Amino acid sequence: MRERSERTNGHSSTDGIRVAALDDIPEGEGIAIDKAITGTADDIALLRDTDGSVWALDDTCTHEDASLADGWVEDGYVECPLHSSKFCLKNGEVQGLPATRSTCPHRVEVRDGEVYLFPGQAP
Amino acid sequence: MRVVVVGGGVAGVSTVAALRAGGFDGDLTLVDAGEFPYDRPPLSKDYLAGSKDLEQIALQRPHWYDEQGVRLLTRTTVTALRTPDGGIELGDGTLLPADRVVLATGGGAARPPIPGAVGDRVHVLRTAEDADRLRAVLVPGARILVVGAGLIGAEAASTAVDLGCEVVLADPVAMPLAAALGEDLAAWLHGLHARRGITTLRAGIASFAETGDGVEASFAGGVEASFAGGVEPRTSDAAALGAVARAERLRAFDAVVLGVGMTPQTALAEAAGLDVDGGVLVDAGQVTSNPAVLAVGDGARTRRGPRVEHWEAAQHDGARAAATILGTPAPEPPAPWFWTDRHGRHVEVVGHMDAADQIIVRGSFEDPSFSVFGLRDGLVVAAAAVDDSTAVRAARRMIDRRIPADPARLSDPSVNVRVLLRG
Ligand SMILES: Cc1cc2nc3c(=O)[nH]c(=O)nc-3n(C[C@H](O)[C@H](O)[C@H](O)COP(=O)(O)OP(=O)(O)OC[C@H]3O[C@@H](n4cnc5c(N)ncnc54)[C@H](O)[C@@H]3O)c2cc1C
Ligand code: FES
Repeated sequence: MRERSERTNGHSSTDGIRVAALDDIPEGEGIAIDKAITGTADDIALLRDTDGSVWALDDTCTHEDASLADGWVEDGYVECPLHSSKFCLKNGEVQGLPATRSTCPHRVEVRDGEVYLFPGQAP
Repeated sequence: MRVVVVGGGVAGVSTVAALRAGGFDGDLTLVDAGEFPYDRPPLSKDYLAGSKDLEQIALQRPHWYDEQGVRLLTRTTVTALRTPDGGIELGDGTLLPADRVVLATGGGAARPPIPGAVGDRVHVLRTAEDADRLRAVLVPGARILVVGAGLIGAEAASTAVDLGCEVVLADPVAMPLAAALGEDLAAWLHGLHARRGITTLRAGIASFAETGDGVEASFAGGVEASFAGGVEPRTSDAAALGAVARAERLRAFDAVVLGVGMTPQTALAEAAGLDVDGGVLVDAGQVTSNPAVLAVGDGARTRRGPRVEHWEAAQHDGARAAATILGTPAPEPPAPWFWTDRHGRHVEVVGHMDAADQIIVRGSFEDPSFSVFGLRDGLVVAAAAVDDSTAVRAARRMIDRRIPADPARLSDPSVNVRVLLRG
């Protein structure tokens, strides 16, 4: 997956892919990055916690088809907009029903107000 | 300590999950009469539509029970409570010792005492078997009468239309769910049925009669109808409607679906002499009148309030029961919340709309998404939203944290609801 994103975007894995400006993501919210850009199987949700930190998870909730980028981000978790399952921002672990499977986290770096994503790399 | 949980719905599964998450290291058994613990909301939605199978609606993945050290007994019915002497008794006579028993038996679909309501063509919707049976008749062109336009009836009607059925929806109440949603939103949502091609009748059912090729319904009293495609009732004249109804085949159906509520499963509790009154009576820690027995979910009721029949309430009951058994403080219950899906719209409700003295609409009913807030003395007490979960999540926090609301900003969709949380 990473190889494909390098090819498509011409970035080395050490740089990551520049996917957004930090200011594009309000605190407590998320934005979805299209899989055509990330080269991953699913879109990736960039989620900004209430402390300002930025995290990335596979975007589609493991329960049904909701986009976690539309979820509610707070205190280390994103709450799914459909049925409120919570996923840990750091490791994607599911915290409560109805979702039963964890989601995949990706490494993110913020440099000079720009958000760089490392699809497929553990945070 | 040995704990046995009777019933593998969301209440029972949440109880065992919360026990282990809270550090319970004793013997833990979950007994369920079904094939395996599965989730019920999809039974009127994706599962009924055939787009999800039973494995896909499992409440936990199969290996979870092993990982959590939970002994899962499926296709097993508990027939008696012997606690505190001997735990529980299974259908085959086996005695399972337990120090604490948690009743999570949920309930069954209500069958009103309407003559003919137990015929082969009359369906209910509570279990996967019910949904399988119903799905088999939801074929394109099938004439389906759905009785009850509350949550499950409306969802079943919506799914049946999606599958190409000719649907008639009957309810004696003009605006089902008005108490939960507020009148305007309830009316708007109910109006969706007619717009999707469903004929809605404001009518009660007097009786059903099996005929050679279907089931015939007789309506009680006057009938008011909104015909497929329309929004406003076109006639309320019973005689005129009688003629129309016959002509438009509003009386003969291939199948009937009863969506008229549920009956709590309290037989075990009653036989064991526990206090039961429209549900197994429990205190704030889910403990019944027998200190060794707790009860959770749709089948339980606190003495203070009415029985709640929603998914998340059942989950919270499980967390509270676990806290009681562990002797830890019970988590503060958040404002009650439920969702429903119909005609492609996702509806969520939080709090108690009927407690509101002021209603604020955010957005417009013609927008793709909008929400309604209920306030009382300047505080948010409820919210209902169509395709706007953020508004409901914000409202929930405003209710739980008693954050005062500014009606002008609340009603302005250009103001981010999250900002309103900051007061
Ligand atoms: C079709 C449908 C759609 C729904 N949709 C929504 C929705 O969209 N949103 C929402 O918030 N809520 C919804 N609900 C409500 C929600 O599903 C219930 O509130 C929830 O299932 C209650 O969980 P429970 O564990 O208390 O009971 P149940 O789910 O009824 O589970 C009880 C379990 O106990 C077992 N059992 C009972 N007696 C025994 C015994 N003696 N021995 C062994 N096992 C026993 C049963 O087999 C069953 O598996 C829906 C319900 C239905 C039926
Ligand atoms: S789709 Fe996310 S919890 Fe249901």
